[in-house]
Amino acid sequence: MVSHPGSLAQQEARFGWKTVAPSLLLIALLIVYPVAYNLYLSFFEVKLSGQNEFVGFNNYIDLLADRAFYDSLTVTVIYVVGSTLGTTLLGLGVASLMNHKFPLRGLVRGLVLLPYIAPLISEVFAWQFIFDPVNGIYNHMTVEVLGISDERVNLIGTPGNALLVVIIFDIWKNFPFAYLMILSRLQSINNDLYEAATLDGANRWQRFWNITLPELRFVVGAIVMLRFIWNINKFDEVFLLAPNVKTLPIYTYFTAFTGTIEQGLAAAIAVVQFLLLIGLIFLYIRRVLKW
Amino acid sequence: MVISRILQKTGFYFLIILVLLFTLFPFVQMLSTSLKHQYDWGNPSLIPQKLNWSSYSELLGFQKKEVKVPESIHRLLNNPKLSAEKRQKILDRFTSTSDVFPFINYFINTLLIAGTAAAISLLFAVFGAYSFSRVRYRGRSGIQRGVLLTYMFGGVLLMVPLYQISVQVGLANTSTGSILTLVVIYVVQTLPVSLYMLGNYFRSIPESLEEAAQIDGCSRFKTIFLIIVPLSLPMLVTVYIYAFMIAWNEYLFASVFLKNFNEFYTLPIGLKSLFVSKNAIWDRIMAASILTALPVVFVFMTFEKHLIGGLTEGGVKE
Repeated sequence: MVSHPGSLAQQEARFGWKTVAPSLLLIALLIVYPVAYNLYLSFFEVKLSGQNEFVGFNNYIDLLADRAFYDSLTVTVIYVVGSTLGTTLLGLGVASLMNHKFPLRGLVRGLVLLPYIAPLISEVFAWQFIFDPVNGIYNHMTVEVLGISDERVNLIGTPGNALLVVIIFDIWKNFPFAYLMILSRLQSINNDLYEAATLDGANRWQRFWNITLPELRFVVGAIVMLRFIWNINKFDEVFLLAPNVKTLPIYTYFTAFTGTIEQGLAAAIAVVQFLLLIGLIFLYIRRVLKW
Repeated sequence: MVISRILQKTGFYFLIILVLLFTLFPFVQMLSTSLKHQYDWGNPSLIPQKLNWSSYSELLGFQKKEVKVPESIHRLLNNPKLSAEKRQKILDRFTSTSDVFPFINYFINTLLIAGTAAAISLLFAVFGAYSFSRVRYRGRSGIQRGVLLTYMFGGVLLMVPLYQISVQVGLANTSTGSILTLVVIYVVQTLPVSLYMLGNYFRSIPESLEEAAQIDGCSRFKTIFLIIVPLSLPMLVTVYIYAFMIAWNEYLFASVFLKNFNEFYTLPIGLKSLFVSKNAIWDRIMAASILTALPVVFVFMTFEKHLIGGLTEGGVKE
């Protein structure tokens, strides 16, 4: 032992690397390398023949000169801000409801999770049916029951309205995530705090503002950050419900796989989107969370 | 005081009902439409006037689609001058099964692809998570943080390079190659979450148990299988289910890699293709949606306790 001081530790280290190596290799090969390769491709005109042509910053210059890019950027910002805020706020509200005792609470808590766990493709069709111009309940309500509108409209077919539907759909689908995280934090708040505050004459609102919210600060901060990351990258929810809502991922997909296929340009959009994500997260962590 | 209490109670239950209505309505609508006849679709009532099970039995293959050969064609077929070959050709056109939606086929594809990917992911994750939680070496926390960073890379950032790589390696041309690529992509997509969840769980197992086994002469590898795996069974099931659900629902990569291989479609792309095809009939689409959701919802309900615990401990990647 004494003559080989590092041997046990070395053995341990070797075992550690051996067991983690398969996972690391896969992640390096299928996540890290592709990300780097994506950056590389963004400087090329990608040809179907495989003979890619180096074009320097041309893809980026083309992108920044394209109006469609700025439109897509605007749509992305509205979508991400709307869905992130909506998900978090609704999650907060539902969590504070479910934190009270009532009959069948266990069942209700489980049912509320359904939108988050059921397959996206099924849910998308249900929502499309609800907004279907011929059969949907939405048009029945607005035209025949409430009389807000004179004629049946295809809400998902018009990009401006579709964006709103997509945001509401996203809130519906993902609020259970926020709700679960917040609820599990709520349940760990010490009840003594509330009792002491009640004795001091604090009303319900004051207790919420001065005890609950500060206790939830970290979990809400984390939820906003995760939802923000996921929603900026979100492809399937938007694409399957309303492909005419062109957020950056949808714009990238169309550029890469439809019409005049321009995968070099698509790679450039993905890079710009990623830089945007990193920049905004950095700002958020520094300015909002003050970590 | 009493009145305000009652008002508060009523308001509270009203809100609960509102939340339930909002979350469940689309599912109720799905079920309702799947059981309605066409003339009933536009009817806002959720209860079908007359139950229609035909889309379910058609999707599940209980009922062959009726073949109607028009009278005029019958006369044509009876023409003795027609060669047997030609007669068969005409008949085939009417008895063609090409517009039957191969639901069972897609269901099995999805089951196999998601099941395999989740199993491989779990296997890799057991070793990786053991390394993260039990073995001491330099660089460990760096790797762990690096793995978590992959949460930031969305599918769209990987879509173009992965496609290009698979084309260059020659995997994208064949169905076997494409399915293989897809499985490996699902393994990698679920791996960071699996590593993270399992790592956290392994840390909660007392190290003394392993030490005892090692004193008895167990090798490190053996202790993983004899001590860690049996003690983590519920968590292994949870991680498997999460990985499975991610792969079961995945659309983007499936649509990129399986595009040209119809018979290997998974449910998400299969249902999407049904929706845009000429057979886009609401009762069938809704029935297919229900049947796609059922296994996932059933599994979730069965393992709800464990799965919810996993969710709040970071067991998600979108």
